[in-house]
Amino acid sequence: MAKRKVKVRVATRTVTRIVRKTPKIARCAICGRPLHGIPRNVRKLSKSEKRVSRKYGGYLCSKCARELIKKEIYEKFG
Amino acid sequence: MAIEVGRICMKIAGRDAGNFCVIVKKINDNFVLVTGPKILTGVRRRRVNIRHIQELPYKIEIKEDASDKEVLDAWEKSGLIKKLGLKKPHISKVKEMEKEESKEEKKVKRKKKKK
Repeated sequence: MAKRKVKVRVATRTVTRIVRKTPKIARCAICGRPLHGIPRNVRKLSKSEKRVSRKYGGYLCSKCARELIKKEIYEKFG
Repeated sequence: MAIEVGRICMKIAGRDAGNFCVIVKKINDNFVLVTGPKILTGVRRRRVNIRHIQELPYKIEIKEDASDKEVLDAWEKSGLIKKLGLKKPHISKVKEMEKEESKEEKKVKRKKKKK
């Protein structure tokens, strides 16, 4: 994760502190709404902790996933 | 394309979104009992809101509240397994399913005796 230097005043002198930046919230690929169930710092987590156990989990929000599956049904089964 | 017993539909929400399932029983005008069965499509026998399923133009003949075994046989008879691109479960899996079902039936009988 990106590091950032911050100047902090400590009693008599100023000290540079290194602060880690947290990544942005995961967003839906179609509508851009924030995704639920996905933690912010993701680097050390296992694969299943980084996404939601649903089709398109972690990539699309539940509403867009529902519409996309419906669209697939209409194309395939008419 | 109505919600009726034997209608094949696809779950569009929840963990098993995108899987096929068969309507087994109508609970009320909002909920239906649905089963895959689990070894064929991955949808276990459960109560589902009709807004979370999308019906398809396919239907199999099963009686109301049929057991998973009967539903599986109806799937095979209808020949939809190949058509919808599903894999026929291995015989050992089918036996496991029967064992589980017999266990559940015993439980239900025991409950009835207790009353």
